[in-house]
Amino acid sequence: MTRSMKGLVKALALGLAAACSLAAISGASAEELSLKGKRVGVSAIGTDHYWDLMAFRGIQDRVKELGGEVIALDAGRKDQQQIAQLQTLIAQKPDAIIEQLGNLEVLNPWLQKIRDAGIPLFTVDTATPHAINNTTSNNYNIGAEIALQMVADMGGKGNVLVFNGFYSVPVCKIRYDQLKYVLSSFPDVKIVEPELRDVIPNTVQSAYSNVTDMLTKSPEKGSIGAVWACWDVPQIGATQAVEAASRNEVKTYGIDGSPEVIKMVMDPKSSAGAVAAQQPYEIGRTSVDNAAKFLAGQKVPPFTFVPAVLVNKENAAEKGKPFLDAAEKAGVK
Amino acid sequence: MSATIVQAEAGASDETRATGKSAGRRFATLVVRLGAIAAFAAIMAYFVVFAPGFTSTFNLINVVEQSAILGVLAYGMTAVIIGGGSDVTEGGIDLSIAANMGLCAAVYATLLSMGYGDFLSVLAAIAVGMAVGALNALAVVGLGILPLLATLAVLNVAAGMELTLTQNTVVGASSPLLGFLVSGSFLGISALAWALILFSALVIAIFHYTSFGLRLYAVGGHPEAARAAGLSVPLYVSFTYVLSGFCAAVASVLTVSRLSASTPGSGELLLSVLAAALLGTVFSRRFVPTMGGTLLSVLFIGLLANGFQLLNVSSYWVNGVQGALILLVVAITSFARGSEGSR
Repeated sequence: MTRSMKGLVKALALGLAAACSLAAISGASAEELSLKGKRVGVSAIGTDHYWDLMAFRGIQDRVKELGGEVIALDAGRKDQQQIAQLQTLIAQKPDAIIEQLGNLEVLNPWLQKIRDAGIPLFTVDTATPHAINNTTSNNYNIGAEIALQMVADMGGKGNVLVFNGFYSVPVCKIRYDQLKYVLSSFPDVKIVEPELRDVIPNTVQSAYSNVTDMLTKSPEKGSIGAVWACWDVPQIGATQAVEAASRNEVKTYGIDGSPEVIKMVMDPKSSAGAVAAQQPYEIGRTSVDNAAKFLAGQKVPPFTFVPAVLVNKENAAEKGKPFLDAAEKAGVK
Repeated sequence: MSATIVQAEAGASDETRATGKSAGRRFATLVVRLGAIAAFAAIMAYFVVFAPGFTSTFNLINVVEQSAILGVLAYGMTAVIIGGGSDVTEGGIDLSIAANMGLCAAVYATLLSMGYGDFLSVLAAIAVGMAVGALNALAVVGLGILPLLATLAVLNVAAGMELTLTQNTVVGASSPLLGFLVSGSFLGISALAWALILFSALVIAIFHYTSFGLRLYAVGGHPEAARAAGLSVPLYVSFTYVLSGFCAAVASVLTVSRLSASTPGSGELLLSVLAAALLGTVFSRRFVPTMGGTLLSVLFIGLLANGFQLLNVSSYWVNGVQGALILLVVAITSFARGSEGSR
C-alpha cells in the first residue's frame, strides 16, 4: 500500500517536473518562435496593389523563416474564387489560417466556418469578431494625422474633394470617420457634396477623370483646396489631374505609402501633399508571429498595431527614403 | 417527326462531307479528340494519386458546390452556341451572360434589402435576366447584328445598369431562401450542390431527350435545312438567348447565397463560362456543344483549381492552364471542322 502510495507520489512529482519543464520550454519559445511541421493557409483577396502584395509576401516569407509550410492563395480580386479557396482550405485542415482583406460581408460567414472547424484564424487589416488577432496599422491615428495635416496645409479653410467609394471596407470607414471627426472642429473646411467614388479596377484613370471634372466645374483658383482618399491609388490619379489642370494650389492626401506616391510627396513641385505610409511587409510578418505565439500556447492580444509614418512635404526626404529602400529591396517599384 | 428528318439529314450531310474529304482527317480528328480526353484523364489521375484528400467525399461535394454557379451559366452559354451554331466568329455566343448575372444579383439583393420577400425578389431577378436575354435576341435576331458584337454591347448595358443600381458597392442580403441554400442539405449533399445536380438533369433532359432539343440542334447546325423543314429559326434562336438570361438569373440567386451579398466584378466569370462551354465540345463525337459535355468540363475546371490548391501549386497556374486548354480545344475544333470552315 505504502509502496504504491510512494509510487503515486513519485509519479506525481515526475509529472509535475515534466509539466514545469514543458512550461519552461514554451516560455523559451517566446524568444524563438517556430512553425516547424506546421501548415499555414494564407488567403488574400488580391495582390494587385503594392500594399496587398507586400503584406502577402511578408506573411509567406515569415512562415518559411519559421520553418512552416505555406499554402498561399491569391483570389485575384474575385470573391467567388476567394470563397472557393477558403472552402477547400478548411478541408485541408491547416494549423492556422491568415486572411488578408476582402469584403467583410462576403467573408464573415466563411470566417465563422473556419472557427467552427477548429482552425485558429488570424487576419491582416481585417477587423472581424472571428479572428484571434488582427494585425494592422493604427487606422484611428493614421486617419486623424492625415486629416490634421490636410487642415493645416489648407490654413483651416477651404473645400475638400473626398473619395468615399469604400466605406464598406473597415479600415476606410475608420479613416473616413476620423476625417469627419477632425473636420468637426474646423467648420470652415467643407467636404464637397456629392462625394466622389473611387473604384477598383481602373482606380487611377477614374480618379483622374473625376477630379478633372470637379476642377472644371469649379474653375476659380482656390475654390478647391484639397483632395482626400482613404488609400493612395486614387491619390495618384488626383495628383496627375491637379497638375494637368495647373491647379497647384490643390494638394492631395492619401494613405498606404505606395513607392510611387512617396516619390510624389518627395518631389517639391508635385501636388501630393502627404501620405500616411504603412509597413505592409512588417504587418504581414507580425501576423505570422502572432499565429506562431498562439500555436505555442501563448496569449495573443485581439489586435496588434504596426507603426505607420506620416510623410509630408517637410519630412519627405528623410522619412520617405526608408520606405523606398524597402520597396526596392523587395523588387517592387 | 419533322425534326427527326432534319436531324437525320443533317447527320447524313455531315457523313458525306466527312467521307468526301478524307477518312484520314477523320481519323486524325479522332486521335486528337481522344488525346484531349486522355490529357484530362491524366490530370485527374495525377490528382487522385498525389493530391492529399482529393478523393474524399467532402472534398468532391465541395467541388460540385463550387461549380454550381459556373455550371448554370455555362448551360446558358451552351444553349446559345447550340442554337446559333458553333462557328466561333459568326455563331451563337452570349458575352453578356456573366454581367447579366451581376445585374440580376444586384436586383435580387437590393430588393431583399428593401424588405421585399424572396418570392417577389426572385421573380424580379428572373424578369430582369430574361429581359436582358430578350434584348440580346432582339439585337441578334431582330436587327441581325453579329452575336459577338450584339452581346458585347448588351454586356456593357448590363454592367452599366448594375453599377448604377449598386454604385459599385457590396449589397448585403439575407433571406429564408438564401439561408436554405447556404446551410440546407439532403442525403449529405448540400443545397447548392443539389441545385447544380437538378438543373443539370433538367437541361440535359430538355436538350438531349426531347424533340425540341433535336430541333434546336438542327437550327444551329443547318439553319437552311431547318428552315426548309418548316422550323422557325428566329424563334428558336431567340429562345436560346432568353434561356441564357434565365440561367443568369438562376445563377445570380446562387451567387448571392454563396457570397451573402451582391458584389461588383461578376463579369470576371465570363472567361470561365466560355472555357466550360468550349471545352465541353471535346466530349462529343462530332465536336458539338452538349449539356453533358459542358457539365464535365465545368467539373473539370473546378477540380483543376481544387487539385492545384491541394497540391499547393500556386493558384496563378490555374488561369494559365485553363487558357492553354481553351486554346488547345479551339485549335482542335477548328482543325476538325476544317472541311466545314469554307461553309
